[in-house]
Amino acid sequence: MPKLVNLTINHTRVTVPEGTLIVDAAKEAGINIPVFCYHPKMEPVGMCRMCLVDVARPVIDRATGQPVLEADGAPKLSFGPKLETACTTPVSEGMLVVEDSPKVTAARKDILEFLLTSHPLDCPICDKGGECPLQNLTLGYGPTESRFDFADKLHHAKRVPLGELIFLDRERCIQCGRCVRFQEKIAGDPVIGFYQRGRKLEIQTQTQPGFDSIFSGNTSDICPVGALTTADFRFGARPWEMEAHPSICAQCAVGCNIVFNTKREARSEGGMAIKRVMPRQNEAVNEIWLCDKGRFGYHYLQSGERLTRPMIRQNGELVPVSWETATDTIVERLKTGRSGLTVLAGGRLANEDLFNLKRLADAEHGKTLFYTHMGGGDLTGQVGLAPGSNLATLGKGDAVLVVASDLHEEAPIWWLRLKQAAARGASLVVLNPRATRLDDFAAISQRYHYGRVMDALAALFAGEAGQVLSQAANLVIFFGSEGLGVDGSQAVAQACANLLIRTGHTGRPNNGLVGVWSEPNAQGAWELGYRPAKNLTAELAEAHVTLVAGADPAGDDPALAETLQQSEFLVVADLFMTETAKRANVVLPALPYSEREGSFTSGERRVQRFTAALPPREKAHTEAMIAARVAARLGLKIEESLPVVFEKLAAETPAFTGLSFDRLAETHPQKPLLSREDLYYSGTAYENTAGLGCTLALTGSPAEAEPVTPELPAPVENALLAVPITRLYDRSSTLVHSSSILGQRMIGAEVWLNPQDAAERGLSAGAEIEIHLKSANWPVKVVINADVPAGAALLPRSVGIPAFELAALEI
Amino acid sequence: MLPLLRGLLTTLKSMAEKPTTVSYPEQKRPVSARFRGRHVLNRYENGLEKCIGCALCAAACPADAIFVEAAENTDEKRFSPGERYASTYEINMLRCIFCGFCEDACPTEAIVLEDNYELSFTDRKQAIYTKEMLLNPVPAQGKPTPQQVEPGVFTRSVPEMKDPTD
Amino acid sequence: MNTLAEKYPQDIKRILAKYPPEQKRSAIMPLLFLAQRETGQVSPEAVQEIASMLAVSTTEITSVMGFYTLFHDHPGGRYRLQVCHDLSCALNGAETFLEQLCRHLGIEEGQTTSDGLFTIEAVPCLAACDKGPVFQLQGDGEIVYYEKQTLESAKALLETLRQRAAGEVTP
Repeated sequence: MPKLVNLTINHTRVTVPEGTLIVDAAKEAGINIPVFCYHPKMEPVGMCRMCLVDVARPVIDRATGQPVLEADGAPKLSFGPKLETACTTPVSEGMLVVEDSPKVTAARKDILEFLLTSHPLDCPICDKGGECPLQNLTLGYGPTESRFDFADKLHHAKRVPLGELIFLDRERCIQCGRCVRFQEKIAGDPVIGFYQRGRKLEIQTQTQPGFDSIFSGNTSDICPVGALTTADFRFGARPWEMEAHPSICAQCAVGCNIVFNTKREARSEGGMAIKRVMPRQNEAVNEIWLCDKGRFGYHYLQSGERLTRPMIRQNGELVPVSWETATDTIVERLKTGRSGLTVLAGGRLANEDLFNLKRLADAEHGKTLFYTHMGGGDLTGQVGLAPGSNLATLGKGDAVLVVASDLHEEAPIWWLRLKQAAARGASLVVLNPRATRLDDFAAISQRYHYGRVMDALAALFAGEAGQVLSQAANLVIFFGSEGLGVDGSQAVAQACANLLIRTGHTGRPNNGLVGVWSEPNAQGAWELGYRPAKNLTAELAEAHVTLVAGADPAGDDPALAETLQQSEFLVVADLFMTETAKRANVVLPALPYSEREGSFTSGERRVQRFTAALPPREKAHTEAMIAARVAARLGLKIEESLPVVFEKLAAETPAFTGLSFDRLAETHPQKPLLSREDLYYSGTAYENTAGLGCTLALTGSPAEAEPVTPELPAPVENALLAVPITRLYDRSSTLVHSSSILGQRMIGAEVWLNPQDAAERGLSAGAEIEIHLKSANWPVKVVINADVPAGAALLPRSVGIPAFELAALEI
Repeated sequence: MLPLLRGLLTTLKSMAEKPTTVSYPEQKRPVSARFRGRHVLNRYENGLEKCIGCALCAAACPADAIFVEAAENTDEKRFSPGERYASTYEINMLRCIFCGFCEDACPTEAIVLEDNYELSFTDRKQAIYTKEMLLNPVPAQGKPTPQQVEPGVFTRSVPEMKDPTD
Repeated sequence: MNTLAEKYPQDIKRILAKYPPEQKRSAIMPLLFLAQRETGQVSPEAVQEIASMLAVSTTEITSVMGFYTLFHDHPGGRYRLQVCHDLSCALNGAETFLEQLCRHLGIEEGQTTSDGLFTIEAVPCLAACDKGPVFQLQGDGEIVYYEKQTLESAKALLETLRQRAAGEVTP
């Protein structure tokens, strides 16, 4: 417990921990000291001078060391000769801070007058106008008129693209350095910097592509003026015109809390549309940050190519029909069937959908299969993170192990949080076949050959790293699927779970196993009992009625496409006409998470609720509703209403016991306090008023088990080893239609080779070649990367090449 | 007798007077100088639109009658000076209360409530005036929008204030 | 023989040896000096090379170059006259002084005289705020401050420099 310090701000008595800065102490007391350069998430620099306050401290008698008292017995206070910056001055006992005196008011007025000498008067067209700290503070504290010559203002070309995502307006910049500091200290990508000094100072980037950072969008949130704006939102709407709808990002398993800002738009015939994605504070998940994929990748949600009507196959063609007809067709088929319904669901369905589909399948003597390329979720349910976990509280004495995952690409916000944990003193151990961006912060970083992960893990546990891990006060293990299939990652998870059990790192907060899934609700699917099929092709071939929801197996794998083509009766519920949907007998339009409510379970086992940002598009339904409708026609009772479904789910699933939508919507005060009515304090991230979510209870009794290591592919002469990897800007199942703005950064079908392997085969970077994999040829582009181990050919997932585990590959 | 004559006199006097009835629509009475009739969107002399799509009129509107959507100008296709222009501009005249707040809020004097009071519709949809209907015709020496212009000329959205007190 | 590593292998080794391996970025400035030794300016290729040598981003290197008036990313004359035009100097008439100096040489700020001798640059604070107008003269491997300047004193200096240059051409 840190020592507490008493001080007075204006007339309010405040007690805060020692070391608190005046500006934060004032915030606690509800007094807003204006700032530009200060940000509660970053070290103070005192550059803008906006936070000047008058500070008095008790006079200490030098002889006795005791405070000098006034006649009335109160300690004598002495004001400093000059004003002090509240953002760099820590509080001290007995301090008096005056922030409303004429002296302070005059100082603020001068600072603003100076800032405005070179700031353009284009608030009417500025994207920040309406949520702009400079605008608000000028109105609150600024002079009513300027003594400077209007014609003396800076004039630069207005629009400077720093990259294709962020535009700079140099005239508007007030040189606070928040963006530069964010990129350097928080994002770890010092790709923007100051150039020149004084009035000539400007923000510059030298990277190719410009502003090459996956966290670049955050700089526009924290910019206190409209100097940095996103290409995506540029002139999209005025801030006050938009509605805010709390939601959860569905691009990966982190579950970042977001807000969808919506407004009517002409293009949608006056209908509502999502204009931008903003972060929502959740200190246990994403703090106030978002990666660029989450921020800019939402466009698929309102794509014109989305399915709009149910369709059934008649004479070989899919024809639009009513929901009744579509449901009847499915029900008839189910009634005539010899065996039941096989549900194949992906990890982007909400918990409620998965639960209802499972109930339908159970009632119809069917099966529920989980469509995934990574195993181990049953173990994360037993030895996962316990309630009360928060990666932000990991520090000295704690350890984190990351196995077979490039977190910077697969789950950027986890990468950010582990980087911070390492900076706080946690021991980070990284075990990956190639160099990743996490290595820079790792205490121990080891490599292994693809296919040898189990040996490497055993060696790691036996060695120095094993000591670090087993002796850590808290231990969190992240396991991924780099170069691993379902069985391979299952084995890795088992080995990691064994270590956690053996060393007593289970069942406690901040201890446990986390799967780096690529879908938002993969963990939820595991928790609800969905399991991957041992042999998916066989299961699908045997199935009587197959319902595929939130997955596109045919698009991923031609062999599965072939099987699905032959399937007896295929029903597909999806947003788009996927390869799987093209082979279906019945296609049902599903609702994306932006148009409905529901909940996702993040990789950290945090169940979080999202709400509808847009009205549902006509004739599309949630998968939960589809299950309920089919059930009703079969004479079964399955609830439609999502809050009720969730209650039912909570009642029947031990891990969810006691949870309800209301519980998920509970919030408690979070530190640091963010901007509320004062936008300047921390940028435009939203305060969380819609719920922080709840971590699932741990179920089952964890026991060690022997990991089952899958066999390696037989070596083929002159062949490379095909290695599936996950990349950030891939066309993952949630980013079906790449948004135009991220277009340049999206990857296509490509193969990553070591320079030597490429040279031996006479391949140069960018060459278009064909690779031979799984008895078929695939056109790909060559990428040469020195971090790729010799003999390996890395293939990004979900770009249409069926690389799901290690395999032989010929060029 | 006298009251009768007085009455007749009044009749005789008024026979010489001009009729007060205005036969609208053939005849139209002039409106007062500060009359607030239907809005128009002004242009600069070169034909560029004064409206920069800032939506401050929509923000000021107490009846929520205005809808603005903005887009970005380029020098190849320039609608207004500066970076931003109104790609959609609609006023619902059934909602409008002709208070003139939009005019007050406009930073470029683009929207002005003019003299036209002839607003009648047979359909609610007709009450929505689009940008094309609201825009003034192109002045004689100007060109229609979008214009192709020299790069770097029209960089400022809000015209420079010569005299801030004006 | 274009890269720094090819041209100055010994110097680079000597510079890098001065700093601990985990603080390699401290060598940015000495390496920049090395890069502009020959031509008086740092080429983008050299920036790239230093960045990869020290494992920092090119943006950081450019930021350092932009901060200091000692590094140049564009060509200039034999002598660079860098006139401070920040607030204190401006109050002492630096802006007028700069204008007069430019007019005297017949060039604009940032330009070089046709004989390739002088470049006039307006720079931010030179930390001699009580002695404005101030300029620093860079050239012939030296940096010299000239404080409390007037057009006359500057003219005299320019003449001296001109003679020095002329003296070299015709001994």
